[in-house]
Amino acid sequence: MTPMDRRTFLRRAGIVAAGSAVVGLGAGAAIPSLLDRFHRPWDDDAFAPPGRPKVLVARAASYGVDLESIVEEGLAEVGGSLAGRSVLLKPNFVEYDPETVINTDPRLVAATVLAVRRLGASSVLVAEGPGHRRDTPFVVSASGLGERLGEVGARFVDLNLAPVTRVRLHSRFTELGELWLPAPVVDADVVISMPKMKTHHWAGATLSMKNCFGCVPGRIYGWPKNVLHWAGLQEAIVDVASAVRPELQIVDGIVGMEGNGPIDGTPVQAGVLVFGTDPVATDSTAALLMGLNPAGIWHVNEAGRFLGQADPERIVQIGEDPERSMTSFDVLPVFEGLTIGSNPSDAAHAGLGDANA
Amino acid sequence: MSSLFERSAETLDRARSGDAFAPTPGAEPEPEPTALAAIALDDDAARRWLASAQLPDGSFGLTAGPVENDAATGLAALALPPSDERERALDHLVATPARTLPSDPVVPHDPNVPGWGWALGTAGWVEPTARALLAFRRLRPGATTQIDGAVGFLADRECVGGGWNFGNRSIYYVDLPPFGQTTAAGLIGLHALASGYGLVLGGVDALRRLWPVERGPLTLAMSLAAFRLLGLADAEEVENALERTLDGAPPDVISLAWIALASGPGLSELAVPS
Repeated sequence: MTPMDRRTFLRRAGIVAAGSAVVGLGAGAAIPSLLDRFHRPWDDDAFAPPGRPKVLVARAASYGVDLESIVEEGLAEVGGSLAGRSVLLKPNFVEYDPETVINTDPRLVAATVLAVRRLGASSVLVAEGPGHRRDTPFVVSASGLGERLGEVGARFVDLNLAPVTRVRLHSRFTELGELWLPAPVVDADVVISMPKMKTHHWAGATLSMKNCFGCVPGRIYGWPKNVLHWAGLQEAIVDVASAVRPELQIVDGIVGMEGNGPIDGTPVQAGVLVFGTDPVATDSTAALLMGLNPAGIWHVNEAGRFLGQADPERIVQIGEDPERSMTSFDVLPVFEGLTIGSNPSDAAHAGLGDANA
Repeated sequence: MSSLFERSAETLDRARSGDAFAPTPGAEPEPEPTALAAIALDDDAARRWLASAQLPDGSFGLTAGPVENDAATGLAALALPPSDERERALDHLVATPARTLPSDPVVPHDPNVPGWGWALGTAGWVEPTARALLAFRRLRPGATTQIDGAVGFLADRECVGGGWNFGNRSIYYVDLPPFGQTTAAGLIGLHALASGYGLVLGGVDALRRLWPVERGPLTLAMSLAAFRLLGLADAEEVENALERTLDGAPPDVISLAWIALASGPGLSELAVPS
């Protein structure tokens, strides 16, 4: 795997990186004003300063390749430490529709179960709290996840029904103050966020941070988890991700979704998996691979101030050449400003929300 | 008494958390599974626990910091005997319709029919609105403003071709499909209501398409309840499918309670005379 500096990647991708100012490129109205930058709605002592995380892009042409080896190698390359630790895999199964590709592919989830075991995890379970459907067993069965987990002997937990624990928020982008999270999420040594690489009609993109919405139980926050939308969708993404703090991320971009995601978009063959230990850096890289400017995605930009690394110069890019792995995802007109090379536009949208992943 | 009821009631009874019921066996009791089980099993201990769990504002639900999920209030009202507690629950529903936003071309909806939400201060959605509708129709039929409003909400959120999903008809100019479980919820709320006749017809058509492919325990159980309340013969086939569901590991307690409720005598507690 050849290390590649993110600045090189950005230049090749057509983004004019200019030191720390890169966080403002293309963000338009999504960029906080200078005054806003003095507002720091988080507890400094709760978050280590963002370091220099590795993010790895791996090629995978289809779900028929040796995913187990790719995942094992990917997690090891980015520095994932799983030996002797309990692991919870959080894929995206917000709902199921056989006509499109809403979900993290079950074959990838099963391969990750095996890879995590090979890396020495003491236990691994797969968990999700679907945001649109109360009948989780239907989603698990119809999507094929149940069958795949049966083949690898992995247990599934419905996070909408699991016992909950109060977690005080150390960030205050919303006024929620606290979240009640499922005990399996809180108790796991390591949460691995496994989103599908998708565009999102309210947030621009849904990746490892947004995927954490599935950790919020529907029996408290609703179906859909409308409390989070009223709290401010992008703000809630930051607060929920900062509470869940997924230690590892695996983005399923083998086949992603473009256009009217996260539910009604169009499948797009991107052929990549993205691995990381920093959800902000991982999502930033994944957005770039989608042909989107991460600096224009509000929640990525804000989370980059405290939760993880958004500065392209401080992300160590390893693995495949991202330039050759980039696939330009179509976006809705409201997000055209996010597309690399386009003009800035306001990516924010407030209103009735439907989707949770 | 059906074999399905006997099997599900026995399993449900074993899943108690003290006098009440939790979403999963042995966990902390909560109002929704307790209300459903109280009706399904005609269980006075569960009813007493439920009454003791009423919040000061008359609601039943879960409070999580600033979030008050009061969506179990309609079910709790249906489970309680005639009492001050039941009236206060209905009063709460009268006082707390959902919040609305102006209609938006990308999320079209009628803000004049807010419905009821999962949590206080949020938007209205199909299942909590259907619960409120049923509670008013059975227990306070004079609440015509609320009943008409709930029917109006369900009409506004009906999917193209009939039935309901969680509550958005379309997003960004794409029509969203109905789901089996939420379609059944809508039909349970609307059964035997003359003003909802057209919605019921569309919902039944949708549910007949959906339940054979959405064979989760909650979908099947609520479909059985809907078909039985509507007096439709489809119930028998759904009941057979549910029998097979019980052959495996027991479902969660909410689904189990719905199975016992839908297949047993407790369903009469949800029926509204036509």
